[in-house]
Amino acid sequence: MGSNVAKKTVTYAQLLETNNLLQINSDESYWLCVTRTTQESKLFPVSPYMMLSYANAFYRWPELLRKIESRMSMEECGDRARNMGTKTNTLTMGWTLPNFYLLGREWLINMGMLRPEDAVDDVIYVMDCWKRMQLSYHRNDGHLSNSQFGHRSQLMPERQLQVFEADLHSVAAGDPLHVASSKFMATVSQYQFLSHCECRIGICNQGPYAFGEGQELIVRDFMDLGVGDYPWLDGVADKFLFNNLTVPMVVKDTHFELMDDWGSFESKPEFRAENIVRIGLYTSDLLTDTYLPVAMESVESLTAKFNELTQLIAEANQVLWKKVAGWSRAEMLEAGALVYYNILKDVAHIAGVYEQSDWMEIDERAARFIPLLNDEYGRDVLTELVGLLTLPSQVTNDYTLCMHGNKNGRMYSPIPYTILDTGDYTPTSGPMGKGSSLFKKQTGWRTSRGLLSQDEYNKAVREFTPFACSPEARYIDDNWVRFHTTDPAVQTLYKKTQAHSPRLANKGAGLKRDDINRLRKG
Amino acid sequence: MAPMAVVQTNPEEILKKYLWDQSKFGVEEATAISRAFHNSIRARVRQKFEASGLEWKDFVFGDRNCLLTEKDFADVEAQLLATGYRFDVSATISAKEAPEKHKPLKGQHELEINTEVKDGRIQVGVGDNTVTLPQSIKGEALYVHTTDEVMALVMEGVPPGRIAIIDDSGGTLTAPILEQFAAVICMGGSVRSHLSILCREYGIPCFMNAKIGGINNGDPLEMNCAAPAKSALDCQKGIERTAEIWKLV
Repeated sequence: MGSNVAKKTVTYAQLLETNNLLQINSDESYWLCVTRTTQESKLFPVSPYMMLSYANAFYRWPELLRKIESRMSMEECGDRARNMGTKTNTLTMGWTLPNFYLLGREWLINMGMLRPEDAVDDVIYVMDCWKRMQLSYHRNDGHLSNSQFGHRSQLMPERQLQVFEADLHSVAAGDPLHVASSKFMATVSQYQFLSHCECRIGICNQGPYAFGEGQELIVRDFMDLGVGDYPWLDGVADKFLFNNLTVPMVVKDTHFELMDDWGSFESKPEFRAENIVRIGLYTSDLLTDTYLPVAMESVESLTAKFNELTQLIAEANQVLWKKVAGWSRAEMLEAGALVYYNILKDVAHIAGVYEQSDWMEIDERAARFIPLLNDEYGRDVLTELVGLLTLPSQVTNDYTLCMHGNKNGRMYSPIPYTILDTGDYTPTSGPMGKGSSLFKKQTGWRTSRGLLSQDEYNKAVREFTPFACSPEARYIDDNWVRFHTTDPAVQTLYKKTQAHSPRLANKGAGLKRDDINRLRKG
Repeated sequence: MAPMAVVQTNPEEILKKYLWDQSKFGVEEATAISRAFHNSIRARVRQKFEASGLEWKDFVFGDRNCLLTEKDFADVEAQLLATGYRFDVSATISAKEAPEKHKPLKGQHELEINTEVKDGRIQVGVGDNTVTLPQSIKGEALYVHTTDEVMALVMEGVPPGRIAIIDDSGGTLTAPILEQFAAVICMGGSVRSHLSILCREYGIPCFMNAKIGGINNGDPLEMNCAAPAKSALDCQKGIERTAEIWKLV
């Protein structure tokens, strides 16, 4: 071997596992992508901005993940994420963390700018971060991902689901709360697509959870509604007092047979708003102990709140659309790329190490590709990369059949095992390059403690540990609770979750579904 | 520390070893523009790598002056444009800012239609139904293509009973006016596209991936929303399941 032999630190077991994780993502991503067409927009150059974001993720995420883990492990971040509705969720950590990074890698491989033997330590590390985060986030259902669970996500513990079961308000098609909540969900979904530059990451669903009598609960999160990381929401979303809103909804006569790793659902029969029978509204963030009810005191107060929020969001939608319609293509390209690229930024918030320059800038090594990113190339290379599997690196030998679609292709190149013999690999893409952005952040970050500056936000997060993640409670799981309901720490954990519940406050850990139904009726 | 120079004497062997652009299957990109761009980029990587005198490990993430720069990629684009090639447009802003680089915006692809009148109507298209409803829906056709058209509708409001015909499956172009439509016919996307998701949320009947012909603004239309909805499984298995669009005569 020549002098380019890297220090041998990679083991066979590491490569076997990493390549398995790559293949899991290759299989699932192909399935996700072939059931949709390439998302195009007349407003945003979507495919070009996706490609830019993938390159940015490839060059920046390894260092940023290491920065996060210098303060908090991925497992602990996953524990925090499990107890709130933020962007550290199925869609972001579950799918985009591995896949955006790997899509950037595969693109570079096909341009001849990278070999599968390059940045090996980074690839192993990124996939390991994904695995640890996911196993922690999915601790309650015991899976690595929704796809591994047959496209389900049962992330929440019993104590939180009991609060929802006790407190959600009953609705019937056509009544004022039903009308108001349905209108709210449509309006906020629309706003989220716009504020996220045509990207779906502002919305994520989890579930289904069995709610008895053939009913199922879906928990819908709407995230980053207020001023925060996205500079374009400054002056648009200033009036929003909640950055994240969660709508748990119980649906009758509908089975949610699929909840994919994009947080999207499919049901039989098709989901219809008229089948929603119970609904609620909550907020949470990195500084709350649990989900906090929003105007849940009565049906009337909740109806009024949905209507108020719908009005506020509809107004913001108009203002934002006019703002975006006036952007240059360069601004649209960058904004979309940043929304995609910074999809992991809430993990940095959780760890209290968030810096706007880390997450809202395009690295010089990614920015150089911008001249390539016309609409046609963006569309075609993305389609080949995720849908056709026809790029040279993706076509496998004639005897192979991939998991879905029976073609001889795979989305991601495995790391060659020969590096264990030759030592010929590069470990890392190196430190982040200089970043830049066309957008400047003007205001603070909306949190449950009001509007905070970046430093105030990081400090507050560092000083706060939700009780569920405290040393007393972190390792208490539902299975153990079944046999230890009188344990003082278990009781405290349940009571903390029940603290804002009109029906369950201070009831503790011994409740069963029948008890909750009695409390609802009483 | 300065990177070490490569001492091997056979540049072609070195390139073969370090560049993954010569699969034994001889596969090339399926799309013309990806093939053109990638071939040009790979050639430039070879030139720069050879000229650098570096080992690959020092070249690939090394001194950024040796690597491909923004100018190289601008040259790749210019090289293709110099052949007379012009790019397809997706976002209207792309053609608006650089018309010289793009093909003219295409008119709508018209489906050949059979003009036979049956039950007082002519079938003028098909689409993938998003949600099965108890009955069909009727309304007047209204094409919506551009931000300028959306802005006009924002200012004036969408007249009642309009079936929007949109060639954008995204959820942002029509964001300020979507809920005002009686129904939507989208000439792209799938039942899992953003526009489809939003229509489902608003309870707006919606056909995606529609193929239409012979429809003018203001034509009275009927959409067969009672047809079976197309599922993700249908998409995966390539099962055709379409719903009819009629013009009332």
